[in-house]
Amino acid sequence: MNIRCARPEDLMNMQHCNLLCLPENYQMKYYFYHGLSWPQLSYVGEASNGKIVGYVLAKMEEDPEDAIPHGHITSLAVKRSYRRLGLAQKLMDQASRAMVESFKAEYVSLHVRKSNRAALHLYTNTLKFEISEIEPKYYADGEDAYAMKRKLPKSYSDEIECSIETVAGSLEHLEIEPPAKILHSENAA
Amino acid sequence: MPSINPLPPKENALFKRILKCYEQKQYKSGLKFAKQILTNVKFAEHGETLAMKGLTLNCLGRKEEAYDYVRRGLRNDLKSHVCWHVYGLLQRSDRKYEEAIKCYRHALKWDKDNLQILRDLSLLQIQMRDLEGYKDTRYQLLVLRPGQRASWIGYAMSYHLLKDYTMALRILDEFRKTQSVKTYDYEHSELLMYQNFVMREAGMYKEALEFLNENDEQLLDRLSVQEIKAEILLKLNRREEAAKIAQALTDRNPENWAYYKYLEDALQLDNVEERCKIYSEKEKKFPRATAPKRLPLTFTTGDRFRRLTDTFLRTAIRKGVPPLFVTMRPLYTDPAKVKIIEELALSYVKNLKETDYFDANCDTSEEKEPATALLWTYYYLAQHYDYLSQTQKALEYVDAALEHTPLLIELYVLKAKIKRHAGDINEGVKLMDEAQSLDTADRYINSKCGKYMLRANLIQEAAEMCSKFTREGVSAMENLNEMQCMWFQLECASSYQRLGKWGEALKKCHEIDRHFSEIIEDQFDFHTYCMRKMTLRAYVELLQLEDKLRSHPFYVRAAHIAIEIYLHLHDHPWTPESEQNNDLDSENLTPAELRKLKRKQKKKERKAEEEREKQLAEQKKREQQNKKSQDNDLDGPKEEELIPDELAKTDNPLEGAIKFLKPLQLLSPNLVQTHVVAYEIYSRKGKLLLMLQSIKRGYQIDKDDPQLHTCFIKFLLHVKKVGELSEGVKTVIEQEVGKLTDNKPISRINQEFLDRNHNSLPHLFAGGQMMYLIDPSTRELAIQLATTVSSNVKGVTRLVCIDVLDSLCKGDFGMCEREATDYQAQCHNIFPYATAFMIPDNNPTEPMLSNGSAS
Repeated sequence: MNIRCARPEDLMNMQHCNLLCLPENYQMKYYFYHGLSWPQLSYVGEASNGKIVGYVLAKMEEDPEDAIPHGHITSLAVKRSYRRLGLAQKLMDQASRAMVESFKAEYVSLHVRKSNRAALHLYTNTLKFEISEIEPKYYADGEDAYAMKRKLPKSYSDEIECSIETVAGSLEHLEIEPPAKILHSENAA
Repeated sequence: MPSINPLPPKENALFKRILKCYEQKQYKSGLKFAKQILTNVKFAEHGETLAMKGLTLNCLGRKEEAYDYVRRGLRNDLKSHVCWHVYGLLQRSDRKYEEAIKCYRHALKWDKDNLQILRDLSLLQIQMRDLEGYKDTRYQLLVLRPGQRASWIGYAMSYHLLKDYTMALRILDEFRKTQSVKTYDYEHSELLMYQNFVMREAGMYKEALEFLNENDEQLLDRLSVQEIKAEILLKLNRREEAAKIAQALTDRNPENWAYYKYLEDALQLDNVEERCKIYSEKEKKFPRATAPKRLPLTFTTGDRFRRLTDTFLRTAIRKGVPPLFVTMRPLYTDPAKVKIIEELALSYVKNLKETDYFDANCDTSEEKEPATALLWTYYYLAQHYDYLSQTQKALEYVDAALEHTPLLIELYVLKAKIKRHAGDINEGVKLMDEAQSLDTADRYINSKCGKYMLRANLIQEAAEMCSKFTREGVSAMENLNEMQCMWFQLECASSYQRLGKWGEALKKCHEIDRHFSEIIEDQFDFHTYCMRKMTLRAYVELLQLEDKLRSHPFYVRAAHIAIEIYLHLHDHPWTPESEQNNDLDSENLTPAELRKLKRKQKKKERKAEEEREKQLAEQKKREQQNKKSQDNDLDGPKEEELIPDELAKTDNPLEGAIKFLKPLQLLSPNLVQTHVVAYEIYSRKGKLLLMLQSIKRGYQIDKDDPQLHTCFIKFLLHVKKVGELSEGVKTVIEQEVGKLTDNKPISRINQEFLDRNHNSLPHLFAGGQMMYLIDPSTRELAIQLATTVSSNVKGVTRLVCIDVLDSLCKGDFGMCEREATDYQAQCHNIFPYATAFMIPDNNPTEPMLSNGSAS
């Protein structure tokens, strides 16, 4: 699959992919908000017929509590029929690098449902994230979230990039930002 | 202040507080202060206060009163910019942008330097793409506020959008002179990248390249810099430098196909050997990357292709990569490659079974292949044969795989797909449901199951299935609409259409159309936001995207469904019965199945009724809650509720159709289908010239399109029949038709169409239909053409054959029960799994049911 940076015209198809794969969904405006605030950070996996088969929707934390610039993964999904190609990892690698280059991000964070063991496995084992804390009742339905982090290198050279390669996770089944948050999100205004 | 009625200090202070309350969304307090002014008899008719009271009421959802107060205020003080501005804001909140622009212009007449009004005006102008007006307003803003960054950017952008690149670049240069540059500044970097973007649009490639080099240290979007450089260097034919950058790009992201294209273009290699070398080097460097292994399969052939494919397949099968087939599928356009792939896969099966190795004569000291290798080979072959429409073999392999590993979800999904492709959607649903039950936490499988149910017209079941992943407390239908889940709504619309539930189907189409309106509305906030954030390249791309938003396949498909239904409603106006009696499955059920279906549907209707009541209760509850929290901004006007029956009862279906047609004509003019449906609409309106125009536009795309051909023949017959035409119309038609046909007789035109396309069933079918229409005495030959199933003819697919059968049953060739039964039997032999061609055992002579779809 072709992996490239997402453009505004991809955002609708990312929404479609999200609706097929994940329980946390967002209206188009929230995708626009990502694509127009941090155009470098979101990536798509594209089949040769142009269909989006996976994506990472990413942002910078706007007012980081710790005052350290860092990226945040809002949503990451790969269609079930395109799993085991290592797409999730490849998407994340590209997004992470852009966070460092364009925004000097020092780490990248995300949330994952406590019950989503498949996603947890991917983040922990394949993508080398670590649990930083538990956020109680983070999701609209009352479920807790693990807040996870991964430190990013100060700068990227291509040698570093390839040394990160590890065994791809078998299950790329991820869900992240709860819709509740979007309602009072930093939407353009 | 130009107001004719200035307030004394005390009241003026109150008025200021109303404005403040409005800004801070404290609407109730705002109303209180307004009341304090208005209760004073002297100021009871104070225009600006009345207007502000109206605007505040609007924010509380009291629209009618709002308009009353604002208009009354304006009448009392026609020279107040406040009153006009307020009226503009009110219109804007109702999305009446043209009206709002007029109001703002009036307001500016009385206060021409009012920044807020100028800003509001500029937003509406860019939203409406009034680019000239936008430029003028941005100029005013620049003159008034030259110290603000946004003033310069907005002014430059207005020239950019008008394609006056020189002026845009001059303004940007001028502006940058005033900027001091920090070491790390994302916004400045974005500004530079934007200027570079304008340069490239202006065709100034050399300058753009130099610009990137000069400002290199300040550019933070390293990827874009590299991509742009590669493209410019290739354009300037500086290939050596381009190659270096392309190498760096592939190293950065070895999965991007475009970068390999850069590399190949830069190196200009003309022999396959050297091309392969590029990729094998990358493969060594990035052993886990797929692109370097996969891309050479597209340009290699013969033995080299076989060798590379062999390695590629083995690696993936050994590892167990389910998407292997979808990775290979694009290669299936080449029959020689298909043959090689098939040979390889079949040899794996044979050898793995016998020896646990891929090769027959292998080095047995090496490790054996894992047991799953055989499973994934079966899985691959099942997809391979499914793609080639060899259902029997596809089923054999998927069954072999299931025997090997009975609980693998992917196998159920695949088997369901094979059944669906073969025309047995009910089996497909059963299998997909089984797949879904094996992993209920996976929404992807859940969605697929929902889709299959909708294909089988099981709408209620599909909604229930999907509701496992929608918000609790709201019906799935409603939540999916709120989330703009268009695939679901589109499938629903098709399903309702097949069931003849025109109103329900139209509702779904309108919901989809509204999503598109909403997404166009979404850009509003970004006009100011992006100016602040400086993400101007992305912003311009957003504007371009919005300009062609309704060319998205979701819209195109929804529009076609809506138009088909409106045409049907024109031909068969709605009656209470028409909705009930149309509940037939398009894939042609047997009578026994039909009775069962009807029983099921009765049950479903009862259930649906209960569901509706539940929803109504929920809705009431929500409304009450909404009332409590109505301090929220009311974003946009309340949409009129879509009521299925009302939609179906429309007394002007053709107008409804035209509304959906317009965006197709504007944004999808290169799809023949657009002009075919345009013809269908205009023919019902009797608009000869528009009919002709549609045909001409279609001809420019594909003059041998079967549907377009039928439009053309019908048009010629129609013109012949309508005797009297006004002189002007007559001349145009004669001229244009002459150009298209050389004035040949109609039957000859049809015959030549048939001759040109004698090996394609869709064409033979269309030509046959027209042959009978032109001259009913040709009936036998016409039917013979349409019912061709010869293997020399292309396009004998299940779906085309269903269309032919439908056409026979509908009477397009006169009464032909016998022919239909014979044809059905023939098709049954070719497509043994397709329910559409099954002949009921108990009553073989019963005629087929034709479907209730619009035509």
